[in-house]
This record gives sequence, structure tokens and C-alpha cells, in this order.
Amino acid sequence: MTFLLGPLLSFVLLYKYIALFVLEYIAAIIVPLPCIAMLLAVGAFASQGYFIFWLSLIVVTLGNVLGDCTDYGITRKYGEIVIKKLGIDRIRFFRYLKEELRTDAAINVFITRFAGYLGPVVSILSGLVEVPFKTFIFFGFLGDFAEAFIVLLIGYIVGNYWSDFPGIFNIFTSIAAVGVTLFILLKIQRRIVKKYSSHSK
Amino acid sequence: MGIHGTKKISIYIKYATIFLIIVLIVLSVFFVWQYTSLRRANIISARESWLTAAVKQHGPATVSDVNFIRPWMTFDYINTLFNIPPDYLKNNLSLSDEGYPRLSLSSYARHNNMTTDEVTGEVMNAVRNYLTK
Repeated sequence: MTFLLGPLLSFVLLYKYIALFVLEYIAAIIVPLPCIAMLLAVGAFASQGYFIFWLSLIVVTLGNVLGDCTDYGITRKYGEIVIKKLGIDRIRFFRYLKEELRTDAAINVFITRFAGYLGPVVSILSGLVEVPFKTFIFFGFLGDFAEAFIVLLIGYIVGNYWSDFPGIFNIFTSIAAVGVTLFILLKIQRRIVKKYSSHSK
Repeated sequence: MGIHGTKKISIYIKYATIFLIIVLIVLSVFFVWQYTSLRRANIISARESWLTAAVKQHGPATVSDVNFIRPWMTFDYINTLFNIPPDYLKNNLSLSDEGYPRLSLSSYARHNNMTTDEVTGEVMNAVRNYLTK
């Protein structure tokens, strides 16, 4: 996706906050755009006086939260029909996943905001398994705000050297994604073991 | 079938867990490696407090920053970055495009049948001349 970065940055420099909002919104829905590199660059632009740091932070958070809500809203409304049509609700693993995502909704939603492309996937799943909207929006907002703040701040601090940082950030988001997946799987495993041991008693 | 199916899921999860732990270890090694290379290149400096760097206002870019000019940058951004008068690049490079300064170097190159390297090089030289005069 790095080949897209140049045109995206030109677009951001030309249309500033509107472009920032549109790109963050599209990326938050599911389209894989190099958003971390873009945010680092915007942080650097803010340090050079071309963008306002706090306004950028508000616009990015808003775009991300609205994108997350779009995913959640669509699957909350139409997910059940699709699940039943495809027979996914009969898959045992899906039932365990559903239970886990509902039980640990707060932590899963919050951490996946740092997990790159896993974020939209969890937003979609949250709507699908009917995570309470209040929990989803609250922890989604917190995660989106924290993620945008950290990336913009690092871009602001390193200035012209922002382009050296997307690599380390992408590794970090991959670590977060693998970490959350592991957490979910281990919790499901624990639930299975618990159920299995009580059954054998 | 109930317990048997659940046991099967449990075994799959065990395999997936082992695989993910290996991936996590590999990623952590890459993370440390990236961090140390950034430290070695002096981009992350242990001597300068990050908090100090965060609150300090960056001044206009200097001659040493001219190499950071890229084809995706707009003329307007370059003018702001190097604190150049809005018409300096237009006059110096005889730019006739109506979109100036809200125009990227790559778009300008495309509209005028030039390569991006040519345009970027010319802009770099013009900015360098302005800053050293």
C-alpha cells in the first residue's frame, strides 16, 4: 500500500482536514490505506505550522469513530440475516467467539484500535455479535483517540524524519493484532476446558 | 458428538496458539531490531528528552532540509516549510500552471511532460539558492 502514500499525501496537502477526514473514514471502514504513515506525516506537517495539531487529532478521531460505527451499524442491522443464510450460527467455534467478543468487548474493541487492519474486522464482528453500542462507542472512541494522539505526536516530534517510522509502527500494530487474536483464542480455550471439565465431573 | 466436536476445536486452538506465539516472537525481534537501527541512525536520540522535543516549536526548514523535498509535496507546502515568498518559485522556475501554488510537483511534471526527478531537482536548486543568498 506504500505506493499509494505519495498521492494520498498530495491529496491531504491540497484539501487538508477534509481529505484527512475522508481518508480516515474510508480506512476505518475496511479499505487498507497506509494510514499510520499518513498520520506521522500529518504530525510532521503540524510541527511545521502547516496543520493544527489538535484540529488534526479531532478530525482523525472523528473519521475513525464514524468509520467504526458504519461497520458496526451495517452488521448489527443485516448481520443476523447473513449469518443465518450462510449457516454460520451452526458453527460451534462461532458460538464460542460470539460469547468471548461479548464478554470481553471493552478490551477487545480498545486494543484492536491499535491493531491496524484488525480494527475494522472487530468492528464488523462487534455488530454481528451484538456488543452493546454504548460499550463499543466508548472504548472505540478511547482507542481511536489514543492511537491518533500517539502517532500524530511522534510525527510532530520527529518532524522531517517521519518517513523512517512507519516500519516500526507497522510491526507494533502487527504485534497488537497477534496479541489480541491470542488473547481471544486463549479465553475461548479456557472456556472450553472449563465446560469440558464440568461435563466430565 | 458434542464433547468430541469441542475437543477438536480445543486442539485446533492449541495449534493456532503455538503458531501465533512463534509469530509474536519473530515480530518482537523485528521490533527491537528496527528500534535499535533507528537509535543507531540517531533518529531516536537517548540524549534528547522526547518531552522537550514535543513542546519545542520547530522553526522553518533550513538548507540542510532541502533534500527532504519530494514529488508529492505541493508548492504551497514547500513555500510554508522553507518560509519562501509565495511567488518566488513561480517566477524563478517560470511556472505557468494556473493551479499554482495548490499543485503537487508530480502533477506539475505530468502536465508539462517532464519527469518528477527533473521538477524535484529544479525546485531543490531554487530553494537552495533562496536560502543561501
